[in-house]
Amino acid sequence: MSFAHPQSLTAHPSRWSIDPVKGLRWEASGSPDVRDWDLAARVEPASSAWSDQFDGFGPIDMVAVPLTTPRPRVVSVPITRSPVPRTRSFHFLEPAEDEPVGSQAAGAPGPAVFHGPAADGRQAIRIRPPGDVIKLLDRLNYLLQPPLEILLAERSFGFRFEPFHYQFEGIAFLYPRQTAILADEMGLGKTMQAITAVRLLIHRREAQRVLLVCPKSLVTNWRREFDLWAPEIPVSVIEGNQAKRDWQWRLVDVPVKIANYELLNRDRNTLAGDDPALSFDLVILDESQRIKNRHSATSQVVRSLRARRRWALTGTPVENSPEDLVGIFEFLSPGYLSPEMRPRRMGRAVSDYVLRRTKEAVLADLPPKLFRDAELELSPEQHAAYQLAEGEGVVHLNELGERMTIQHVFELILRLKQICNFDPATGASTKLERLEADLEEVADSGRKAIVFSQWVETLQRLRDVLGRFGPLEYHGRIPAKHRDGVIRRFRDDPDAHVLLLSYGAGGVGLNLQFAGYVFLFDRWWNPAVEDQAINRVHRIGSAGPVTVTRMLTLGTIEERINRILEEKRELFDTIFSDLRPGRRLSLTQEEVLGLFDLSAPAPRARPSAA
Amino acid sequence: MAADGRNEPKPRNCLGFLTVLECPRDGLFGGYLALDFRGRPLEFRCTAPIKPNRAQQILYGATLDDYLYGEQIGKTLLTGCKNTPLVVCADQSAVLAVRELIDVPVALVEAPAAQPEVAPSNPAETIPGNGGKTWRLHSAHAPGPPPQHFPLGHNRLFTPVAADATTIAERLADLPDGFDLAEPFARIREAIEEARRAGGE
Repeated sequence: MSFAHPQSLTAHPSRWSIDPVKGLRWEASGSPDVRDWDLAARVEPASSAWSDQFDGFGPIDMVAVPLTTPRPRVVSVPITRSPVPRTRSFHFLEPAEDEPVGSQAAGAPGPAVFHGPAADGRQAIRIRPPGDVIKLLDRLNYLLQPPLEILLAERSFGFRFEPFHYQFEGIAFLYPRQTAILADEMGLGKTMQAITAVRLLIHRREAQRVLLVCPKSLVTNWRREFDLWAPEIPVSVIEGNQAKRDWQWRLVDVPVKIANYELLNRDRNTLAGDDPALSFDLVILDESQRIKNRHSATSQVVRSLRARRRWALTGTPVENSPEDLVGIFEFLSPGYLSPEMRPRRMGRAVSDYVLRRTKEAVLADLPPKLFRDAELELSPEQHAAYQLAEGEGVVHLNELGERMTIQHVFELILRLKQICNFDPATGASTKLERLEADLEEVADSGRKAIVFSQWVETLQRLRDVLGRFGPLEYHGRIPAKHRDGVIRRFRDDPDAHVLLLSYGAGGVGLNLQFAGYVFLFDRWWNPAVEDQAINRVHRIGSAGPVTVTRMLTLGTIEERINRILEEKRELFDTIFSDLRPGRRLSLTQEEVLGLFDLSAPAPRARPSAA
Repeated sequence: MAADGRNEPKPRNCLGFLTVLECPRDGLFGGYLALDFRGRPLEFRCTAPIKPNRAQQILYGATLDDYLYGEQIGKTLLTGCKNTPLVVCADQSAVLAVRELIDVPVALVEAPAAQPEVAPSNPAETIPGNGGKTWRLHSAHAPGPPPQHFPLGHNRLFTPVAADATTIAERLADLPDGFDLAEPFARIREAIEEARRAGGE
């Protein structure tokens, strides 16, 4: 069989047939172009039923299929080079070499114990630009700096003690800010964080004149802390007579000056001049709640200081009302806050300027603080005395009419609170009974407790009754020269199980972490002061859980005050935690009067409950 | 710095860090940071995002990343920067392709998890560098040609050009021993994000 390459194959309806000699044949019909192809297949004819079936094939439809091969087409894909991407460049000033500040030799820190972020695998702390830094170049200049740990670990930035991670975060918060409040809970080391941030600014030549203002009682402490955390930085305490102070104010080779609030008031004329030496790169206010009253003389003189950067340190940025924070911001950034702002809005407005941490939040290894409120009924004697005093007092206030002042109300409150402590006639006291019972347990377990009251008389009555627990006293009537000895004895004497403290003398500056129990025999006006008292015991170094017992007599002025204190805590959380809906909750004059269902007379005195 | 032989600024103690940030929506952003030996920034450059087209994806195939990271982004960023780096560090292997296009040694900073154990150092296996810094070498490599994987301070580096290892060690001899060469890449990524947020790409 031979085939020619067909140009086309055309078939018409045809059929297959079987020739007995030639075999299977294709029989085409129709067009002369169509050949019959002999397939030359030998077929053995057989007479069978199946072969007959071929005759049964029907006609087959065929179609023409062109076999011409089309000329191939070429698709060309140009491989273009992408255009060079656009770039942006930012150039930074040549970083200055650190130069020794002051005398490195005297009191220079020992070998740094800080090992940097890589040492313990924790994440490095970056200095991030504050929200009010707008220019991209400036923001990048912060973001592209080395992590804080590296900056601090460089030459001359050794620490005697390795700071906590949250303290590095606090330094990284303060360092880039022109305006800042470090509002950490007491005991978290605001002083160290501020000093280290100052140290960084001075070493990096971003600050050369720093003024620290603090209460007079804390000047020595600040001086000591500078010696500890920044021994190479010269520090001058402004003190002495006017001539000496004038000279000290103008010292140019002392980068850090420390002054107290009272002195600032006296030197307001000196500071009011335009002497460049009295223009500061940074002014820090410690215990900045001192200026919460915007109208006070202290606030005014502080606000008159000329400074590029302004920082405030306080554990209690809001003691009574959001106006406290407004007062502090009048120093930091005048006009930024207004008293009319709702707490939640105020909280949002200050969020980039305020850093607030609690011990529970940052000290994972701090022992728990357990509150155990002792809600007590008055003894019959106390109850009778209380009812009498309250009835007569309210009648008296009503009789005063227009002459009544807030001071009259406070006098009544104090009288009633004293009755809640002791019956004036018999000395009966359910609080004392409860305290004695609890102290038995404390002493039996070899532990120690501290007891707070706002009255020295109360503490002395307790001393007389609690003799078997070896009570010691620490209050305003204990001479200052004896106070350290009291603390030492309380710590070292195994028979001294209880220390009786007044809120005023014992609320700040003491480290009593070796005690495990705190009793608030009566309540202070302000939760922040109570917190400070509790923090004498519950702080870094506490050996175990701290149990706090807050004593409260039911159905009395104490219960009503407690309700307001709780509301103040809510207010604080609203501003600084943004956790709860905002409510305006401050101890207004109306609320103080409301303790006795009295209405406010014509405005005369502003309430100052704290 | 470019390979075309034009005049270059005098090298100083400047270290370059080059990385690429991939954003699913916009494409690839390149970032380059020049630091001094204290880790402080001298210069930052970043690119607008680039996205390969479909034809590039098909035709470059496995070499696409080298092209984008090394040539498109790396070369662009390094060309024209004010501070000539002694060494360019990368944290992505595709960036190493830029080495063929520049005259500066390029090193890949290997992640700690990828760092193989280094043989204990002994006098026979160390190469003293300038400034008292030493290299510790795999015994399999010593005393032959310098290894392409090698430690530098607390870091471990890889260089695609074997001869660069010696150059890198010499040029970084004054680098503080605790300098973490992986850390600056985090700064670049944050800076790119910041630049994007600012609308400056």
